[in-house]
Amino acid sequence: MAKKTTDTTERTESSTNDVILRAPAEVKYAVELEALRQNDTGEKPAAWLLTPKAVLTYIVGSKTPLKATINGKAESVTITRKFFGDDSIVERSIVTLASERALLLVGEPGTGKSWLSEHLAAAISGCSTLTIQGTAGTTEEQIKYSWNIARIIAEGPKPEAMVPSPCMIAMRTGALFRFEEITRCVGDVQDALVSICSDKTIAVPELPDSNMVFAKPGFNIIATANSRDQGVNELSAALRRRFNYIYIPVVSDQKTEVEIVRTRSAELLERYKIPARVEEPVLQLLATVFREMRDGVTAEGVNVQKPSTTLSTAEAIGVAVESAIYSRYFGNGTVTTADIARNMVGSIVKEDLADLKVLKEYISLVAKKRGASDKGWKAFHDAAAKELA
Amino acid sequence: MASVDVSGIPEAAAVTVAAEAALRDDIYWFGVRHHSPAAARFVREAMLARKPKVIFLEAPADAQAMVAHIVDAQTKPPIAIYASFRDDTNQLNGAGVDSPAADVPAKYDSWYPLLAYSPEYVTLITAQQLGIPVVFFDLPFSAQLQRRPDRAVPQPAAEEDDDAPAPEAQHHATTRWDDAAVTSRFYKMLADNGGYRSWDECWDSLFEVGLRHADAESFRRDMTYFCAALRATTAPQRLATDDTLTREAHMWQTITTTLQSKKLRATDAMVVCGGFHLFLDRTGATPVPVTPQGTHFITVAPFSYARTSSNDGYGAGNRAPRYYERLYLPNEAPAAAAITAMVDHVVAVLHKGRKSGEALSAADAISIAQHARMLASLRGRKLPALDDIRDAVITCCCKGDPRDTGRGLQLAMDEVETGTAVGRVTPALGKLPLVYDFYRLIDELDLGEVMAKDKRKKYTLDLRIAADDRRSIFFHRLGQLGVPMARRVDETTTQLMFRETWTVEWSPKTDVALIEKNLYGDTVEAAAAAVLGEEVAAATGLSAATVSEFLLRAVALDLPNLFTKLEVTAAQVIDDDTSTASLGQALTHLVVLQRQAARKHLRADVIADLIERAYGRGCFALPYVANAPAEEHAAVIAGIKAIAEVVLTQHQAADTVMRLDQELFVTNAKTAYRDSQNPYLRGALAGVLTELRAHSTDELAREVAAFAGARGEVLAGCGDFLSGLVATSKTAMLLGAEPLVHAIDQLLRAATWDDFMILLPRARGAFEGMHDRSRVALADRVAVIYGLSADEAQTITSLPTTQGGVERLVRLDAAAEAIMQQWEFA
Repeated sequence: MAKKTTDTTERTESSTNDVILRAPAEVKYAVELEALRQNDTGEKPAAWLLTPKAVLTYIVGSKTPLKATINGKAESVTITRKFFGDDSIVERSIVTLASERALLLVGEPGTGKSWLSEHLAAAISGCSTLTIQGTAGTTEEQIKYSWNIARIIAEGPKPEAMVPSPCMIAMRTGALFRFEEITRCVGDVQDALVSICSDKTIAVPELPDSNMVFAKPGFNIIATANSRDQGVNELSAALRRRFNYIYIPVVSDQKTEVEIVRTRSAELLERYKIPARVEEPVLQLLATVFREMRDGVTAEGVNVQKPSTTLSTAEAIGVAVESAIYSRYFGNGTVTTADIARNMVGSIVKEDLADLKVLKEYISLVAKKRGASDKGWKAFHDAAAKELA
Repeated sequence: MASVDVSGIPEAAAVTVAAEAALRDDIYWFGVRHHSPAAARFVREAMLARKPKVIFLEAPADAQAMVAHIVDAQTKPPIAIYASFRDDTNQLNGAGVDSPAADVPAKYDSWYPLLAYSPEYVTLITAQQLGIPVVFFDLPFSAQLQRRPDRAVPQPAAEEDDDAPAPEAQHHATTRWDDAAVTSRFYKMLADNGGYRSWDECWDSLFEVGLRHADAESFRRDMTYFCAALRATTAPQRLATDDTLTREAHMWQTITTTLQSKKLRATDAMVVCGGFHLFLDRTGATPVPVTPQGTHFITVAPFSYARTSSNDGYGAGNRAPRYYERLYLPNEAPAAAAITAMVDHVVAVLHKGRKSGEALSAADAISIAQHARMLASLRGRKLPALDDIRDAVITCCCKGDPRDTGRGLQLAMDEVETGTAVGRVTPALGKLPLVYDFYRLIDELDLGEVMAKDKRKKYTLDLRIAADDRRSIFFHRLGQLGVPMARRVDETTTQLMFRETWTVEWSPKTDVALIEKNLYGDTVEAAAAAVLGEEVAAATGLSAATVSEFLLRAVALDLPNLFTKLEVTAAQVIDDDTSTASLGQALTHLVVLQRQAARKHLRADVIADLIERAYGRGCFALPYVANAPAEEHAAVIAGIKAIAEVVLTQHQAADTVMRLDQELFVTNAKTAYRDSQNPYLRGALAGVLTELRAHSTDELAREVAAFAGARGEVLAGCGDFLSGLVATSKTAMLLGAEPLVHAIDQLLRAATWDDFMILLPRARGAFEGMHDRSRVALADRVAVIYGLSADEAQTITSLPTTQGGVERLVRLDAAAEAIMQQWEFA
């Protein structure tokens, strides 16, 4: 569990951030959370750090800065928008977490499920790191608890020998437990959650004198599932009933997508200390290419083939960041549309080589035509054509 | 002070002045929104408390006579005031623009729905209970048309299914102040700050479930401020271009003249109108439009929630008629009503969802209710609004993408929100002439038993019996009028001239459609004649096919005058037509007419003349289709077949008085055959000529065999030739099967593998296009030619063989299948 720094003014330049690559949300946005806490006057659900309204504001941002005392100084703190999309998704998620039911965020890869999950946990519990990443190899022990074998041999079964899982820690502290990619786990393992969701307990039969762990108020689960995995390890009917599903669609408009790519790529570049910025026309081109290939139709109404890969906004962010790194170390530091073209091929053409043809079609049919009257598109076309040759 | 905060807009001071002026006016102004349960509850409360001496209500002045019928004990909402206007003297200049032709008067109509919880309906009912006279003070419907920017644009029809009204009528939804309000800066600011995703959500938050109003006065105050802010921040040109200002001029004029004539003081009056109109201009700057002269009709008709639902495209309705009905419980406190409405609604949705296969439990209902209340709280509402309930249902019950996994749930929600209520109107209300005539005919034709709701009856009519013939005419006329009641079920399945089968079912939609068609005439006959007459007038560039089809319909509708008028036109239209397809179709229609001539007392000589004209024109047009483009082939072949069939039938029938010149057809068909470069058309013409014995089967075989020497594209044409042949030839091909099979055999032997692959798809298509019996008969002939005796071919039903033989057949079958797969036909 990452320890939140006590000095909230340290922000991302804190000593913690000097030694770790990525600070969890509650650390990175500690100042915003603190400002919200100071301005939060409503009634909070048990063990929540903020009221539902303040959690909502933390995630969707606020237009007016908040006045707060940070490290003894009066400051005006802007609450930035973390999640771009339909605000009702966030509202429904927050309400679910305040209810009896657990939350399952479902959607295409790269739609921001884990991102939203992390921020919800950070705002509600102040801790987003009580997390399990679901895989085919995830075991029931990883969800519930395991044992320190050496101590068991030496001292016998005692509570001290137990190694609690992130879920058990969340239950004991009344925090949110995050279960990433739950449908990657096999059904038997998933079903370990049934009693946790319904009875809010974990039975420990090995300890006759302390054989139950009870969840404290505030405990709940946020799981995520990739809709492309549906049918692989579908949740059992018993578990489905205990989860509220919230579907996160792919971002539906260009303006929002550009905004997401701009914000997230800037954050990532800051993390890598890359002094590069992706300019607006380049962002627009990147978002346009992704949108048109994803939808299979261009702004002019020309039908183009769709690749088999999910061209999510997260992929677009990846292309923007990689292009910026490329331009920083191999170019002049300015991200061009040609840099975008060079870094895009790998995002679009993955396991299916047929996607190469799809991309070639787009480059020759659409990009070339636009390049005749637009320098940015011409540079993009030329670089992509060279890359695909 | 109002709880609606207007301080965020620059016009705040002016808004306060306007609102306070309206609130302190001697006249008691009460702003409402259509179909708002809260407005209905509070307007009643205000009336009971104030007991004014007169009430001015926003409804068209020309519907004043309907008040007694609306409040009649036997009238039950949902109902609607129906207003229509026929501009007989073209004062609105709509002839030829809003009507099919310049000599056809434009017609307009509109519905004003009234639900049990509409403030207007509640005002009328309460006024009746208190004995207060109500004055409808909105501009008459026809006068509103003069300023409507949408006058030439038909509004979406509020229909429950595909029984759409005839396109020639211009339907108008009543203008709502909400439409202007959503464009205002104040609403945009509210939506931005409050996170409202729609105007309905904003309204419900502020006025339906907000619990902001303890009594009618606080509601009135908030509503006045709210609407003052909306109006002050709406673009002035918006109000100048729609009919708001002219309507308001009429409203104010009605108030002043009424008070004067009744010798009442302003303090005696109460006005119930849309919130926007509280601030109407009293200076007389806008002239009151004159009501145009023409034919006006006003009535009240049963309506339904389905027609009222804005989800079905009806602009003057609301988004969930049944849900809002639940919200209107006049004897219950608003807080309790909202919760009761939510619970009832959720239970109904889950019940409906379960019936359609969704796995939903009582636990889900509890979760939804809890979720909706928490969502409402998070969104700043004291009680859940419909938006919160919808979101809660999806969150708690939809396990995936709402657009996919949640489709069943969405459908259940839509159905429950809309409801199925249908209203009724007191029998005391005199019927419109057309409706009266309809019911008279129902009695006269002894069709009364179908008038019960949900009673469907099938009628098989023998048209030689006078009573059945009259029923047939009545059903055809209803069909022409677009009145959903009688549907012919055997039109495509029977060839019988004197028999028709209909299913007949009355529904409230029948009366609604009749009311809408009243403008066309006072009787079913006159209205049907007018509608068909308009169709004829609207048909630009009449062809032989369309005019003959109109003639047929005029006969089915028993409209002799229109038939005579069309007869005169028909001769000229046929003479001017040069399209084989159209003339062929016309001939088919005219022959049907000829068969009905005696029974329908038509002049046989006139029809015979039309047939001869169409036949002659059709024959002479044949050479021009010899090389018709591919997209016209289907129509051309249909025309050729129709002409050939007529000439063949006429010659086969012994009692036919008229003999068409077969030689004329044969000569022209041969010319076309000779000139045609297109193998498909050549095949079709050869087929027709063979049917008429003008072409021998040996000639046909030679034509096919001639392809054997060709290569590539020409060879591929053989498949097209066979397709054309099959399209027009039924018996001739079978008669000449032997030489034809030999010719095809010769062709296949001569073809290389590549040529065969080119030829194969169209040739296969040609044989697949044959009737099953013809194909089997041809296959029998092939079998006989290849060694099977004729008797065996006729009687073969099984293929007895030895065990070894069976094994060999299986191997052959497998080998054939493997070869077929290599061919990749797909």
